[in-house]
Amino acid sequence: MTTDLFRLVYCSRNTIFADQCDPVAEIAKILAASRLNNARDGVTGALLYSDGCFAQVLEGGLDIVQRTFERIQRDTRHGDVIVLEARRTEARMFGMWDMALTEPADPIKAKAILGLALAEPNGDAGTTVVALLDGLVRREGDWANAA
Amino acid sequence: MDGFQSDADARATFDTLLSESNGHRAALTQAVLDHAAAGFIGLDADLNVVLCNRSAADMLGLTPPQLWQPVPLPQCLRESTRLNSVGQLAFEAALYPASKFYPDSGLSIVDRTLQLILLDGPSLHVIIHQVDANHCFVSLSVKATGDVPLERIDGLTGLSDRQWFRERLTTELTAPAQEDQVAVLLIDLDRFKAVNDSHGHPIGDALLQMVAQRLRSVVRDGDLVSRLGGDEFAVMMLGVSAPEAMGKRLVDLLSRPYLIEGHVPVIGASIGIAMGPRDGADTASLVRAADLALYQAKEDGRQSVRVFKQEMDTRARARHALLHDLRRALALQQFEVHYQPQTNLGSRQLVGFEALVRWRHPELGLIPPDRFIPLAEETGLIVGIGEWVLRKACLDAMSWPGQLSVAVNVSAKQLEDPNRLPRVVEAALTTSGLPATRLEIEITESALVRYEQQALQVLHALRAKGVRVSMDDFGTGYSSLSQLRSFPFDKLKIDRSFVRDLSNSDEAVAVIRAIAALGASLGMTTTAEGVETDEQEAMVRNDGCTDMQGYLVSRPVPAEDVSKLIRSLTSDLPTLQESI
Repeated sequence: MTTDLFRLVYCSRNTIFADQCDPVAEIAKILAASRLNNARDGVTGALLYSDGCFAQVLEGGLDIVQRTFERIQRDTRHGDVIVLEARRTEARMFGMWDMALTEPADPIKAKAILGLALAEPNGDAGTTVVALLDGLVRREGDWANAA
Repeated sequence: MDGFQSDADARATFDTLLSESNGHRAALTQAVLDHAAAGFIGLDADLNVVLCNRSAADMLGLTPPQLWQPVPLPQCLRESTRLNSVGQLAFEAALYPASKFYPDSGLSIVDRTLQLILLDGPSLHVIIHQVDANHCFVSLSVKATGDVPLERIDGLTGLSDRQWFRERLTTELTAPAQEDQVAVLLIDLDRFKAVNDSHGHPIGDALLQMVAQRLRSVVRDGDLVSRLGGDEFAVMMLGVSAPEAMGKRLVDLLSRPYLIEGHVPVIGASIGIAMGPRDGADTASLVRAADLALYQAKEDGRQSVRVFKQEMDTRARARHALLHDLRRALALQQFEVHYQPQTNLGSRQLVGFEALVRWRHPELGLIPPDRFIPLAEETGLIVGIGEWVLRKACLDAMSWPGQLSVAVNVSAKQLEDPNRLPRVVEAALTTSGLPATRLEIEITESALVRYEQQALQVLHALRAKGVRVSMDDFGTGYSSLSQLRSFPFDKLKIDRSFVRDLSNSDEAVAVIRAIAALGASLGMTTTAEGVETDEQEAMVRNDGCTDMQGYLVSRPVPAEDVSKLIRSLTSDLPTLQESI
């Protein structure tokens, strides 16, 4: 098993739950399952849901990120999956989080960034999305510390 | 010997084993277990393997763990040679609720069962029993998947093979009281070859395995997924009313990105669907119908799903009939050569003609080249047709006045044997008496790319005879400058699409200018094709092209009308009269 640290960033669109069930409850379910798996596998990352789009960062060993991503790919609750970034990395950016769920601080900005990433996945989309999630996770960390 | 008749027996033995901390007893139990056909693994709450019999190790493709030396099962699974990473993960995930890490997970572990597909084909049936708070016990058995015999299993993906698919389909179609529809979905991956070429075969193989797993993950129990070969898969579904929805779901699933060894290859899938017995009552006709639908899906662009329709069959039959007629057309002398004039943009003089083949079908009339040339290329008939055109064009050109040239198209197929074309050209020139300098051979960029070495060899041989060589449809294919360096072409023919876009596209203007400048600096003539208006003529002249061809001067005319055309063109242009 490789010990190389790998980071994968993708965006996708929610496909079913807007009309069929409560998105918040559904995301809570996704998150519970993903935290359970991730804690075991040493995967960290963050998930953002904003206006029908997901952005997720997965960090961990290449093998396990690969398996985790393949499992996510078979989930029919989302579609139009676009990989924004897939590369080896020196350090984790989301090392504190089994899978942080972030609320967009600025929903309009988040929507714009995800919309752009889905429409034009090349260029800086990966970096922009990681920065967005990183900013949101930090903000939540600050709140947690303040509390 | 098969030590246990049932899982219950095995479990009882294991309970005994645990209750007796007697090493002697344990060794005896181990010996008994090693003779069992079923596989057994005992685990503690840290998921360490505390017991594993030989069959379990064989079924998972493991070297048997050292007894009584606790090894975490997840670590063992990663070394499994029979489970792929997805199977390993599923196995692990099923065990976790039994571990001490998630005591409150609320997930039930009571006799949890799991079905995994082994890499070499058969399926692995797993039952996990919770023994007490600190132990669980796993029993394993291997079954052929859906009773697929091992020799009918594809080694790479573990799916059944083409022959098994046909056999199962035949069984379903001939089953008595078959009321349900049988849906056949033929799946072809798009861009798979490109992945193989750019990332290498190991990545390509891993991709095919993941495709197989994704297919298996969505079909229902009882559906059959097979690998027909290469990047072709098939799914057979029983009792479905709307297979198109499943087709779309498969296309979506297979087109999602894959992550393999850090690479993210992207492929697509096209799917053709046919329903039996509606679209075909027997295996051959049903598969043929699905194949026609797949052909249509690919024609309509990637990532599409098409359900067989009767008109697909009608069209395929028409194509077949056309091909049948095409095979006899040469012998029945149904081809004609028409000629389109090429003029110099500066002097407005007529410089020559391009020979264009036409097929006059006895019932269908004149068939446009775009309907029969691709068919002729596909079948290789183009070689004979091309050579006939060459001989006819040389003979016809002999009757033209002066130094007027004749340009003849050469297909990529005619370059497959590099010795053939020079010989045919030689014969055509000798028979007709046409000087080699009046013959021009037109070759497309794509033909050059396909047969680079042979093509260059052929072109040099032709040039050595004095025949001129031009590059046709320049700008549409690969347009690589290295090709221009690899052979000193006499002429570049600028594709008609650029001329058509001249009035509304600055890019088209820029491309034409660049090609004209390139031609000028390399000493090549540049001919603008498809010039239809005075405005276009003015523009291509202005952009530096030397010659033009198109409806503005004349449409292609039959051989017998060429002299009349020459007379009319030269009466407009008194200078031409002097030159001939």
